[in-house]
Amino acid sequence: MYILENAFNNVLRNKGRNILIGAILFAVIVTAVIALMINTTTSSIIENYKGRFGSEIRLEPNMEKVRDEAMKNSTDGMVRVTVPSIPAENYIAFSESEYLQGSIMTASAGVICDSITSVDAELGGGSGMMMMGGGAGIEASENTPMQFMMSLQGNKLAEFEAGTRELASGEMPDELNECIVSTDLAESNDIQIGDSFTFTGELRDMAEGIVQPTSYTLTVVGTYYDVTDEYAEGSAQNAFTNRRNEIITTYDTVVQEIQSGMNGIKVAATYYLKNPELLDEFAAEVYSKGLPETFDVTTDKATYNKIVGPVEGLKGVAIMFMSVVLVFGGVIIALLASIAIRERKYEIGVLRAMGMKKTKVAFGLWSEMLLITLLCLVAGLGTGRLLAQPVTDALLAGQIEAAEAAQDEQQSNGGMMLRMPQQDTAADAEPLSDIDLSLGLDTMLQIIGIALVLASLAGLISISRITKYEPIKILMERN
Amino acid sequence: MNVLTVNNISYQYEGSKKNVLKGISAGFEAGKVYTLVGKSGSGKSTMLSLISGLDICKNGEILYKDADLRVIDRDKYRARDIGVIFQSYNLLTNVTAVQNIVLSLHISKAPEKDKKSFAYSLLEKVGIDRETADRPVLKLSGGEQQRVGIARAISHNPDMIIADEPTGNLDRDTEAEILKIFINLAHSENKCVIIVTHSKKVSEIADVIYGISDGKIAFHKQLPIEKNS
Repeated sequence: MYILENAFNNVLRNKGRNILIGAILFAVIVTAVIALMINTTTSSIIENYKGRFGSEIRLEPNMEKVRDEAMKNSTDGMVRVTVPSIPAENYIAFSESEYLQGSIMTASAGVICDSITSVDAELGGGSGMMMMGGGAGIEASENTPMQFMMSLQGNKLAEFEAGTRELASGEMPDELNECIVSTDLAESNDIQIGDSFTFTGELRDMAEGIVQPTSYTLTVVGTYYDVTDEYAEGSAQNAFTNRRNEIITTYDTVVQEIQSGMNGIKVAATYYLKNPELLDEFAAEVYSKGLPETFDVTTDKATYNKIVGPVEGLKGVAIMFMSVVLVFGGVIIALLASIAIRERKYEIGVLRAMGMKKTKVAFGLWSEMLLITLLCLVAGLGTGRLLAQPVTDALLAGQIEAAEAAQDEQQSNGGMMLRMPQQDTAADAEPLSDIDLSLGLDTMLQIIGIALVLASLAGLISISRITKYEPIKILMERN
Repeated sequence: MNVLTVNNISYQYEGSKKNVLKGISAGFEAGKVYTLVGKSGSGKSTMLSLISGLDICKNGEILYKDADLRVIDRDKYRARDIGVIFQSYNLLTNVTAVQNIVLSLHISKAPEKDKKSFAYSLLEKVGIDRETADRPVLKLSGGEQQRVGIARAISHNPDMIIADEPTGNLDRDTEAEILKIFINLAHSENKCVIIVTHSKKVSEIADVIYGISDGKIAFHKQLPIEKNS
């Protein structure tokens, strides 16, 4: 007990030296508090997003493979690139995988309707096919794809969840052959809830040249407000691609016309893995169940990177900064402790000559260091907690800026890319720009651990010095 | 019955080939004042280091109550069994006089419950009043520091008091007072007092004088106790 009492008195007595050691410790602890708070919070965010994005699987056509395939199959110099589709039965078969915890299916089909005039009808329609090379002089024939003016979107509810679309009147489609239309389309055509319309489309087998008409008779059960961009970035602008012309219906409604081996109804599915680690196993299973090689089994890495990238950068910066401060702080504390012991050599010699054991002398010095550390810990925790949020905001803003600059540069150097605009959710994703830091028990324990390690490091240096000191030598030197 | 027995000890410092002590033997009893006299470099301070357990001899043996100092816990020996008074005081300079004594009482695990009061009374016994006792050691005069050193040496009631040139830095009056304290400790409190000195005056207060020259006992003189009482 007297050792602790003496240590406490010594801390107060040797103010200059202890303030110097305390200032270094304080700086290290404040940095550790900020860095660990950032690390803990960002780790939890990253894990959360990893779980969400790592589990969310998409089956997307790889447009480069599709184009290569189309070029390989071209016989007349004209390359017809048709977005491939997966038969609905395959989607259902894939959804039965034991690696999944659930799935969301969507379907879309291009259609026309004689009694509805589409928004931007004057721009013409679209086929959903891309024509490359040798296209000049194509004449309309039986093989010319239908020019769709609208699209049926089965179970496409992402915009409603994101808040860019909202039900304006009526109700959401729930039963087979129910639909809702945009308020723009409804107003320009005086569409009322309860009206029924017949939409026609077509299915094609490009290889065999078979064309099969499709027909849907849908009842309007509601209208929706739409504040999405009318056209997806980079897409052709016509009535078919205008989002105000999207007729929202159920998945089952769209796929009821689907026929095996025929293109024209595009089905997409988002599968949710039980665990992100199961991606390869799931991919192997779906390929074995008939997924064409032109499809990729992917997670939404682009969106994940856009949202979480700056947070990961922030975490990296925080950890690196903490490591540097810990190393340098540790070295400085070790040096100061070493100098302090040299300064106190005489005191140690006297105590040893009085019969105090080496272990007790060392414990006394370690206790002094511990007391200084505890004071710095209390002050450092408070200050670090106050500073953590503004520091994080500033660092994160820097990371977002850097990420955006890097993206702009990439885009300006990127050249032409074949993309599927509807599926490019990364473009819409906003990076996390606001992180609420919290100081949890785990973080506090880590900080206490770091502080104790630093105190012990200084203590160890003291102990190693003391074991070398013989009281008679110290006193003889002094005398 | 000897409290401390020195048997044929020799000593040489690390890196030196010269023996500072060459086969010294001596006995020290309770209730007597001993002086080790000799010129500078004769080996008397080395002998003091050895008998105070601050250093160990490789040849010969030093027995405290028949226990070899090389074997026993020397920290405990220094803390409880002996009190050492240094020529340059060797007090803790960053604390007050009384705190020096209190710390010594703690180290020696002295039984007194109110160690501070006991420390004040001890200091008073050696002529340090309460006000002086509460002053930092560095603000005390040489004589006052030496008195604090004596109080610290006797604070834990040791069997032996070993003093190295205890009056070397003091004026005549203070020297006389301090020597009186040593005589009193030996004759009234039955302590074994060993004083290392080269002062003739100090050596004259001894009951037994060991003259050391060139690392050997050159003479051994026993004086009648009545003379010093």
